[in-house]
Amino acid sequence: MSCERLWNRAGSAGQERGSIVRAATWTGVDEVSVETVPDPQILNDHDVILRVRRTTTCGSDLHLLGGYIPFMRAGDVLGHEFMGEVVEVGRGVRERRVGDRVVVNSFIACGHCWYCRQELYSLCDNGNPNPGITESLWGQSPGGCFGYSHAMGGWAGSHAEYVRVPYADVGAFVVPEGVSDERALFASDAVSTGWMGADLAGTKPGDVVAVWGAGGVGQMAARAAMLLGAERVYVIDRLPERLAQVREHVGAETIDYSRTDVPAELREVTGGRGPDVCIEAVGMEAHSSGIQGAYDQVKQQLRLQTDRPSAVREAILACRKGGSVFVLGVFALMVDKFPLGAMMNKGLTVRGAQVHGQRYMPRILEHMARGELTTEHLATHVMALEEAPRGYQMFKDKTDGCVRAVFTP
Amino acid sequence: MAVPRLLDSLRGAATQAGGALLGRLQHVRLPGLGQSSVPEDPETAARRWRAVTVLCSPEQVGTGADLPAPLAALGDRLDLRITPAPGDRGTELAARYRDRPSDDDLRALRSALRETKQLIEVGEVLRVDPAPHGVRTPTPQGAALEGATARAGGEGVL
Repeated sequence: MSCERLWNRAGSAGQERGSIVRAATWTGVDEVSVETVPDPQILNDHDVILRVRRTTTCGSDLHLLGGYIPFMRAGDVLGHEFMGEVVEVGRGVRERRVGDRVVVNSFIACGHCWYCRQELYSLCDNGNPNPGITESLWGQSPGGCFGYSHAMGGWAGSHAEYVRVPYADVGAFVVPEGVSDERALFASDAVSTGWMGADLAGTKPGDVVAVWGAGGVGQMAARAAMLLGAERVYVIDRLPERLAQVREHVGAETIDYSRTDVPAELREVTGGRGPDVCIEAVGMEAHSSGIQGAYDQVKQQLRLQTDRPSAVREAILACRKGGSVFVLGVFALMVDKFPLGAMMNKGLTVRGAQVHGQRYMPRILEHMARGELTTEHLATHVMALEEAPRGYQMFKDKTDGCVRAVFTP
Repeated sequence: MAVPRLLDSLRGAATQAGGALLGRLQHVRLPGLGQSSVPEDPETAARRWRAVTVLCSPEQVGTGADLPAPLAALGDRLDLRITPAPGDRGTELAARYRDRPSDDDLRALRSALRETKQLIEVGEVLRVDPAPHGVRTPTPQGAALEGATARAGGEGVL
């Protein structure tokens, strides 16, 4: 037995588990497998081990699957949006206990560095053990993220029976009694990301807010904007089942971009001003019609740009003078034909971030407990972990109205 | 037998190349990629102060034998500069070698500064390995990424 194993026995408390677990892994471009992997171990004092109860696909996973973020190795465990039960705690953990039902933020943050103290948790200085990669690409390194490539720390993801959660006192939140697993699950990322976008974009009572993308994050950004007092909220997408969910479950109005000139519609419904706040929740694989769509596809495939930014462009052009644009979708590196002139001359505030979820999750869970935030409808397809390849295929192809495939390890 | 040896050799070369590429990436100057505005001569670049900002008082960093172990391990080869950071951001901890460092020396210094910061702020150095994973199908890209990841704690713009 190694010293490390001895330390684990001496330094943690919890339930006995097996030595191997099942997990959904990235095995190549557009390939997902379910295979046997080693049981995660407590490696740091502030870790807990979680038995995963629910773990969901996220639109940003598709960038990994498609090979657009080239920092995955075959065998990497996917998944960053999850909840479960604590089964083992490290000796430095103070707030969490074995048996706690918790939801965990997708970003790993220490809670002690200057960025964490500013509640900018996804920028944590101490959450990414591979800072050299992202520093070389972006100049600085953000925090780490579960199951999101070696550029973001190489952390094993949550699509597994068990997952290790570092800095658990900071990132794992107890789910209130009465909040279902399916509801709490989305506090992990979709709701906290959407809430952050609406909040940091400066949404105020009386604002008109437009959200690009009716996936889980976009829907929750719209709902958060409403709870923050927005007068009117519009969500833009092309998929009728998602737009129907927005109307039924979020209570926002919808625009089908495949049939409607979006900036013209937004000008018409805002007295010619444009929305006060524009939130982009699409990311680097945005769809677009006509010449723009073809242009972006070709340039991305030729690697002349890494990301397709059509929704960001449209948000900047549609936003009112002096308004605010928040980029929630995941982008990797660089884009072409960015409307910098519109941004500057219209006096826009453009901001983006990965999720500072620890800042919002306590408040989100309170809203969930009061029934003001419901997310169960996002889990359109709940299935066993063994079905992860089928779940990802449905999620990617958007077949059978799939909004999110949720796995139950 | 020759083919497996050749494949092993190619994978080894890809691993080396991945690590080397990461080491050079921040010096690239392409539109949208790379961090350098002008190329510096190697002597100047190697002699730059490498700095982290630690959320603590200057006294908590320590000096001499009281330095956190990762920095103390580099011994008297280093000059240290410990100054309060503006705006209540903590303490700027900067270090550079007194002699001309090798690339390996610089990697060791970057790692030491990052680990020192973690020890002071959090109390431990975060470990990711061994992370559970499935079968690592051997590919050139995987080998290159393995090489880059192995050096990622000691590379970057620091």
